[in-house]
Amino acid sequence: MCSRSSEPRERATAALLSPYRAGVASVVVVMLLLCACEREERQFSAQGGSSPSAASMAPASITLSDLQPGVSTQARRGERELEVNAFSISEGQRLYEWFNCNGCHANGGGAIGPALMDDVWIYGSAPANIYATIVQGRPNGMPSFRGRIPEQQVWQIVAYVRSLSGQARKDAMPSRTDSMQVKPRQVALPREEPKSSAPPSGNQP
Amino acid sequence: MAFSAHAQSSADEWAIPARDFANTRFSPLADINAGNVGSLTVSFTFSTGYLRGHEAAPIVVGGRMFIITPYPNVLFALDLRSAGAPMLWRFEPKPSASAQGVACCDVVNRGVTYADGRLFFNTLDGQTVAVDAESGRELWRVKLGNINLGESMTMAPLVVKNKVLVGNSGGEFGVRGWLTALDAQTGRQLWRAYSTGPDKDVLIGPDFKPFYESDRGRDLGVSSWPPGAWQRGGGTVWGWISYDPELNLIYYGTSNPGPWNPEQRPGDNKWTAGVFARDPDSGEARWFYQFNPHDLFDYDGVNENVLVEIPVNGTPRKVLLHPDRNGYLYVIDRASGEVISAKPFVHVNTIESVDLKSGRPNYSQSRIPQVGKVVRDICPHAGGGKDWQPSAWSPQTKLLYIPHQNLCQDEEVTPANYIAGTPYIGATVKMYPGPGGHRGALTAWDPVGSRVAWEITENFPVWSGALATAGNLVFYGTLDGWFKAVDARNGKTLWQFKAGSGIVGQPVTYRGPDGKQHIAVMAGVGGWAGGVVAGDLDTRDASAGDGWAAAVPDLPKFTSKGGTLYVFSLK
Amino acid sequence: MHSALQPVGPRAELIADLMLLFFAVSAVVYVIVIAFLVWAIMRARERAVQLGPAATAQADRKSKVAVGVGAALTVLTLAGLAASDFIVGAILRQPPADPLRVLVTGHQFWWEIEYDDPVPGNRLRTANELHIPVGRPVQLIFTSRDVIHSFWIPSAMGKMDLIPGRTTNEIIQVSQPGTFTGQCAEFCGFQHSKMRLTLHARPAEEFDAWRQRQLAPAREPQTQEARRGQQVFMQSSCILCHSVQGTAAAATVAPDLTHIASRRTIAAGSLPNTPSALASWVLDPQRIKPGSRMPASRLPPDDLSALVAYLTSLQ
Repeated sequence: MCSRSSEPRERATAALLSPYRAGVASVVVVMLLLCACEREERQFSAQGGSSPSAASMAPASITLSDLQPGVSTQARRGERELEVNAFSISEGQRLYEWFNCNGCHANGGGAIGPALMDDVWIYGSAPANIYATIVQGRPNGMPSFRGRIPEQQVWQIVAYVRSLSGQARKDAMPSRTDSMQVKPRQVALPREEPKSSAPPSGNQP
Repeated sequence: MAFSAHAQSSADEWAIPARDFANTRFSPLADINAGNVGSLTVSFTFSTGYLRGHEAAPIVVGGRMFIITPYPNVLFALDLRSAGAPMLWRFEPKPSASAQGVACCDVVNRGVTYADGRLFFNTLDGQTVAVDAESGRELWRVKLGNINLGESMTMAPLVVKNKVLVGNSGGEFGVRGWLTALDAQTGRQLWRAYSTGPDKDVLIGPDFKPFYESDRGRDLGVSSWPPGAWQRGGGTVWGWISYDPELNLIYYGTSNPGPWNPEQRPGDNKWTAGVFARDPDSGEARWFYQFNPHDLFDYDGVNENVLVEIPVNGTPRKVLLHPDRNGYLYVIDRASGEVISAKPFVHVNTIESVDLKSGRPNYSQSRIPQVGKVVRDICPHAGGGKDWQPSAWSPQTKLLYIPHQNLCQDEEVTPANYIAGTPYIGATVKMYPGPGGHRGALTAWDPVGSRVAWEITENFPVWSGALATAGNLVFYGTLDGWFKAVDARNGKTLWQFKAGSGIVGQPVTYRGPDGKQHIAVMAGVGGWAGGVVAGDLDTRDASAGDGWAAAVPDLPKFTSKGGTLYVFSLK
Repeated sequence: MHSALQPVGPRAELIADLMLLFFAVSAVVYVIVIAFLVWAIMRARERAVQLGPAATAQADRKSKVAVGVGAALTVLTLAGLAASDFIVGAILRQPPADPLRVLVTGHQFWWEIEYDDPVPGNRLRTANELHIPVGRPVQLIFTSRDVIHSFWIPSAMGKMDLIPGRTTNEIIQVSQPGTFTGQCAEFCGFQHSKMRLTLHARPAEEFDAWRQRQLAPAREPQTQEARRGQQVFMQSSCILCHSVQGTAAAATVAPDLTHIASRRTIAAGSLPNTPSALASWVLDPQRIKPGSRMPASRLPPDDLSALVAYLTSLQ
């Protein structure tokens, strides 16, 4: 919240009397409140605004190739509401550990599965792509979590996964870890520009 | 072509990965020796086309060489009679690609084995396959592991008395470990011995006579675990099996208990992180010794057991030598299971000593992992003083040549959540070089004097196997791609060759149809240690690759992926 | 029943007695102080006119004595109270011989309870219900997986904090059979108020029988519907968090459900353990306990009723 101003009464009155200044002030306050809301809002139930709407994010609409015959359609950037929300990202982080994502992808550096903190995205970097990767699974070892992880939680994991390479808003990302520090703080790492690429070897994973 | 009917190797051949039942990896060939090794040169190479860790040993029988790749476990037969060793056939078992998701430490395969005209190997997705060595035709295959339970198979089978002995992998996935015997003719399952659970599943019967008190009692495989935890308790059998025909006993180690976080499994966690002696006919256990009761640091007990005869207090005794992950070298009476000596061969601060009376290690209290606490300076690290990479024994020098690493770690354990088919670890580790700063070494160990005879330090962990020959040579490879021959007596480097990729394979030697002695090894960096390169890990995260990212962050600057067989001979 | 004023064990009685002592002493002091105050006001009015300079000097002396005596009495009283507090604390801290050891782990927003045993195979894990034998001291060893919680069963023990990364402990001893309620006593998040537990104190034999029953693996489902419910459980999100001993479900981030049907309440004391409450909880926990970590399931009605049939069969 903004700190309360201790201006002299006269000036406050003057401000109140000036519709222009009052308008500007209220717009600023409302904007500040809104951004705070976005960052802080905690949406507990799946019904409601914080999950991207099913239609716009339908996994069926994702593509896994940059190559499209004829004229290429603009790559969908996907919706990002969850990535400005600190609660979603931190819930995603908790679930990433609970459901053993970290067992294969470590803290983003990869192990059995590929690294998630770099700029290489084999199956696409858009939220819908990552959602589809988690739900459908991928042929070279990524399990399919369909029916196992509820939709809303998958989106939270997506938000956290994208935050690993700096795709989430900085003020929404966790600024410190609760456990042994194994990498630079999330906010200190540069944002990686996602590239739809496969690992150099081409045959794994 | 004449295939011999034995499961060990004739003097000129290398029929099973460890060469003989005793697991010595010693060849009596001496054409290449300390005097002439300097002129060793490449006679041919062969690219497998796969780029993950090539850990397998080339197998040479009847003028043919057989090599197996990491996943997808393609088996090649090369004709050594023709110049350049052209391919005779290739066999593709086509394992499920999803199996790659349950292979903890790269999608490796530790070898194919030969017996009676047949080749036997395991696929990553849990199948054992028999192939006709002549034609490359599939004889049978059986599905033994279930990837949905996290099971995979990476070990090299051993054939004993017409039984194919195979075990599962997956100690990091809450798998319940087992060793299974299959009929070599048909693949029919003859027996299966689990490493946890009730005595009837572990094949513990009236003949089971462990040397130490703490291994006696009914159903310890159940009661030494919290309720039900034995069902996902690890103890997988992914290492080496040795066989003593005189005592008619097989010896093999069991892996770490799961999860790594020890707080989740109070108790001794029988029968993990130890060694079993079993009757190969019935599978019945004869004795068991636990190197790491209630394992604290992922110290698997799967390392090789080398069967030798050495003098103990003046009298020769049949023993097994076991360099364990915990950094101690155990000399164990292989008839009774009595530990004759246990001495560290690397810097160890997690175990203060091994009490020979009770057989139990004294754990350093200051190193015991605890949830919510970061424990620093744990030596050796989770990969142990030595991991899977097999050592070699020379009966000439009476030394055991141990390829190993010198790494320590910081660790924080967290509660692991068991979900079948996903990792079950509960630990974050950050590894770094141990005292001295070198990350690997080849140590020649004198088991009689319990001392280091000589040691070669290496910048990177030595993740390849070792080979000893009657020419007084020891061969090994390094993670950054050097293949070296050293003098078995003093460790002097006599010859070296830079391969195209890091070496994590097992060197072998044989006399080819051309009458010349050859040395063969596969290069192709990978395995747990080389996963940083093989898996394109991001080393900014020290916990990547289960902690290896911090141990070898510079490896990508020294080597890149590969998969090539190199064969050498004298000019 | 839960009140610190109705203690049900020797240790709780000590605390209650101490509280009574403090209350009594404070009450007496309060009465005396008020009495003096009233007296002083009255007297001041009467004597305001009469006083001369000579009388003032004498009054000064007298009031010095009065203040001195008052201060000394105050110090003595406080010292006495401190001493009694110290003594009670020392008694409470004394480790009893042969206690039953129980590990209590705080989670947002439920209690994990594990009974220690020298034989690891006899360790028992349950949730939100603490069963103890009457008369035997029980050592509770606390820790937390997330934030700081505080364990409090008012009629049986004082509060004790559960701190992530550390262990604390406290002895509880109950001398009469009964059921008592407890509550998290340190604000721990959205559903702090619905982080409750029940204490069941029962005779030793009954406790042992309960423990044996709880150690058994889950009952195999007997009816067609329960069998289908088990399938639903194993193939949905349930299996990612919960465990049912004897099945493939062995996750540990949420309460163990091996004997869920034997518990009186669900969701850490939020709802009675009835089939309809279970169904509404499984369907949409966020409506009942917003912010709890159980997600809503989107089970079709017949799957839901099968699942409830399975859960209610887990006696």
